[in-house]
Amino acid sequence: MNDVVKLAGVSKAFGKHMVLNGLSWTVERGKVIGLVGRNGAGKSTLLLCALGIYETDAGSIQMLGDRVPELSDATRARIGYVPQSSDLFGWLTADQLLDYFRAFYPRWNDVKVRALLNRWGVPRDRVISKLSGGEKQRLSIIRALAHEPELLLLDEPVSGLDPAGRRDFLSELMSDVVDRETTILFSTHILSDLERVAADVAFLKDGAIRLHGQLDELIETCRRITGDKHSIDALGIQALSREENVNGTVSIVARLDDRHLRSVETRNGALRVDRIAFEELFEEVTR
Amino acid sequence: MTIDARAFSIRVGATEPIYRQLVDQTRRLIASGQLTAGDLVPSVRDMAAALAINPMTISKAYSQLKAEGLLSQRRGLGMAVAVPEAGAGTLAARLELLKPALERAAQESAQLELPPDTVITAFKRILKGRK
Repeated sequence: MNDVVKLAGVSKAFGKHMVLNGLSWTVERGKVIGLVGRNGAGKSTLLLCALGIYETDAGSIQMLGDRVPELSDATRARIGYVPQSSDLFGWLTADQLLDYFRAFYPRWNDVKVRALLNRWGVPRDRVISKLSGGEKQRLSIIRALAHEPELLLLDEPVSGLDPAGRRDFLSELMSDVVDRETTILFSTHILSDLERVAADVAFLKDGAIRLHGQLDELIETCRRITGDKHSIDALGIQALSREENVNGTVSIVARLDDRHLRSVETRNGALRVDRIAFEELFEEVTR
Repeated sequence: MTIDARAFSIRVGATEPIYRQLVDQTRRLIASGQLTAGDLVPSVRDMAAALAINPMTISKAYSQLKAEGLLSQRRGLGMAVAVPEAGAGTLAARLELLKPALERAAQESAQLELPPDTVITAFKRILKGRK
């Protein structure tokens, strides 16, 4: 069972607004995958559907081989989730919250919890409603890591943290990946963080996964090719995006195989071929 | 000696993937003598934690360096800088270092619409002038 998350034909609408539209996607064990998309593309909805918190309109979802939404307690205990923001349990202190959650899980790493609370400076005996946004987010992360989940779903987990805090969190996450081969599904709009930690990226657009690939491989094989319309069309390459420029030339961004890479890069003059960085690829694919 | 993971630095937002940056930096550290035969490179774990990057990215960089003969696995110790082989190996390795510059030149030549023969002739002249 190598597919840890498996969605098939999943649709979800809010009223008339279709957010997920027949989305099919699988996540392999041990991968760190970045889920990216424009604001409102449906990243949170996708995660909430996968967790069974939102009911889907169509399709089927499996998590760790178990069907959503009827996940067994044993399966739930193997999953960790950090929501985008959490205002629950404001009347409890961090210590009380963690004690409360500990009761639900067969595993709980107390040593790690204490070490992270200290390292990340989360006050343990102040009520949560009095904590800063960053402190709440750190606590939420500690809560999600405490039971050492096999599968971790992170929804914009670092938006409230400063760069040093983000870096420290990402280091912790990567140590976890080395030690326990945790599968991580990471939604964020901070592309620089994603570029560090994600092996794969999946682009969500128009309710479906538009492109999913190894990040290294995408950066190495995607090019922006500019030339007159005829030369571009003659390439016969399927483009990820296409744009008419003001001077009448056409630019496409495409993922090229070895043969196409060689042929466009040796074509003298007629074409301009540029490498692109992850951020440009994001803009093109999610446009 | 094990080199500190902080000797490596990662640029995000670049057109070069991170594993490639690690490969190039290791090559340069070796070429400049900051890393010499027998020196250990950081473990995948240390590197992943220090730079906050995916462990698979580091493994990928190390296996490429191993395939090129620049690193070798030392049992019980980790990855170490290999003893350079005399002759062909080092020539190929040195040529590999020049490749990015050549590729850039090739790309710019194409953008300037220069015929390859003209460029090669000019390059030969530059090489001879240096001697």
